[in-house]
Amino acid sequence: MSDEIKITPVNRGKRPAFFDDPAIDQLMAIVMAMSAEMSVLYDRVDTIERLLDKKGTLSRDDIEAFRPDQGVEDERNGRRNDYISRLFRIIREERETLVAHDKMDEYNALMDELAKS
Amino acid sequence: MPLQHEHDFLVTGSHDEMNRQHYVSRLRMHILNQIGGGVRDVYENRVKPAFEKDKGRIPKNETEIHKAMMADHYGRTWSTMMVNCQDMVWDSVRPAIERAQPDLNDRVRGVNARYGSVTLNPDIAMPRYLEAADIHRMPGNYHTERAVDDATQGALYDRGRFVYNGGAAGPFADGIPRTMAAYIKARWPEFKPKRILELGCTIGTSTVPFVDAFPDAEVHAIDVSAPSLRYGHARAEALAKPIHFHQMNAEDLDFEDGSFDLIYSCIIFHETSRKAYPKILEECQRVLTSGGMMAHTELTPVANMSDFDAFYIDWDAYYNNEPFYKTYTSLDPQEWVTGAGFEQDKFFQVSIPDLDRSSSDAFADSVSNPTVADSKAARVGESARWYTYGAWK
Repeated sequence: MSDEIKITPVNRGKRPAFFDDPAIDQLMAIVMAMSAEMSVLYDRVDTIERLLDKKGTLSRDDIEAFRPDQGVEDERNGRRNDYISRLFRIIREERETLVAHDKMDEYNALMDELAKS
Repeated sequence: MPLQHEHDFLVTGSHDEMNRQHYVSRLRMHILNQIGGGVRDVYENRVKPAFEKDKGRIPKNETEIHKAMMADHYGRTWSTMMVNCQDMVWDSVRPAIERAQPDLNDRVRGVNARYGSVTLNPDIAMPRYLEAADIHRMPGNYHTERAVDDATQGALYDRGRFVYNGGAAGPFADGIPRTMAAYIKARWPEFKPKRILELGCTIGTSTVPFVDAFPDAEVHAIDVSAPSLRYGHARAEALAKPIHFHQMNAEDLDFEDGSFDLIYSCIIFHETSRKAYPKILEECQRVLTSGGMMAHTELTPVANMSDFDAFYIDWDAYYNNEPFYKTYTSLDPQEWVTGAGFEQDKFFQVSIPDLDRSSSDAFADSVSNPTVADSKAARVGESARWYTYGAWK
């Protein structure tokens, strides 16, 4: 058997674009793909560090063969979550600042509180 | 996130590919929970007030909310990230599966059936609703055959769905059916099905928990997709689970009347059609034994939701290639179940807390005090409760 199999869409339809300029949708796709590649690179460094810690030396095969156990995976997921949070901060912040609050009221309330304590 | 159980036929990938897959899972969860969670805040605090200022009234239905939200940049950013992340899921698993072929197909073909069986029907016609769209934007959907005796789509679905879910359904991706099998046993302990049928089983991940829960039963599973069934059979054999897979359409089963005591389906109806839905329920009524039960886990009907929640849930109908999603969620299951010949007082519906993601008290409570109350609207994979309905014959 030599038949190569390519997994291509069959009937995915037109890709939806949400912004008036579809280049913005494309740009977001590029940013997201890049975010994944940075994470993959970080994991590779993490693998190298773990192997060096353990063995003091390593080969490329060691890296390729390395599979995280549940503990390492949990650590990496914690780091990935923090990384995603930092990367997409601007979107999260918008949500957080939607609810208007009066800075002066906040300041006065804090001053009152501090004066009492 | 648990690591996926690596049975003999699972294709994961290289060091970097697996890390890419695991990253995409985290990214998807961030978009769902953090960014998706902000959609309501944006609506309440910006979009709704602006609409009210402009029109002198609040949006009157889901469609108006949809239009207003899609005109807001937050709605657009969230949407484009959702679609793109969906494609990243499949892209992250695709190269390793391509590399694994055609060896994978050879191995699947060579499986020695020790526990169950697979019976294919090459003459079966693919339903229009599967051919019309790559559901969930999965390239080639469940059924595309890319070679003779192809199992590619099964492999793609197995790993891709795990990445999509972020492992939320456990190492065997079976959180929902495991919850359901446990629920049936707990709520109806006297019910001992001898023959069990699962409809729309794809690769059998949702069939296996019924084998485990009812070890004395003979378990059958059907699907129209041959690549999914070939792969599912190989997977079941690798896991030593006796399951008899058949290539059939749930609208027109080849089984005798009264041949199953329990029929289950796991979130399949919204991927069929308005024409198919009643036909499937009628087939359930026909092949069930007297005293048998059917149970279907599905999306919560939107009748129980606010306009905003309906907009949020129905997003998938528009942008995630799920054409029947919106119509399906607008239907009242009880009406259609009784329409298929089941008696009104034999109908049941309940929202069941996920076994892995809820307290045992919450689960026990849903057994002793069944309710459909579910305060949080959530799309599949987000919720920790599963809406399930069915009937006794």
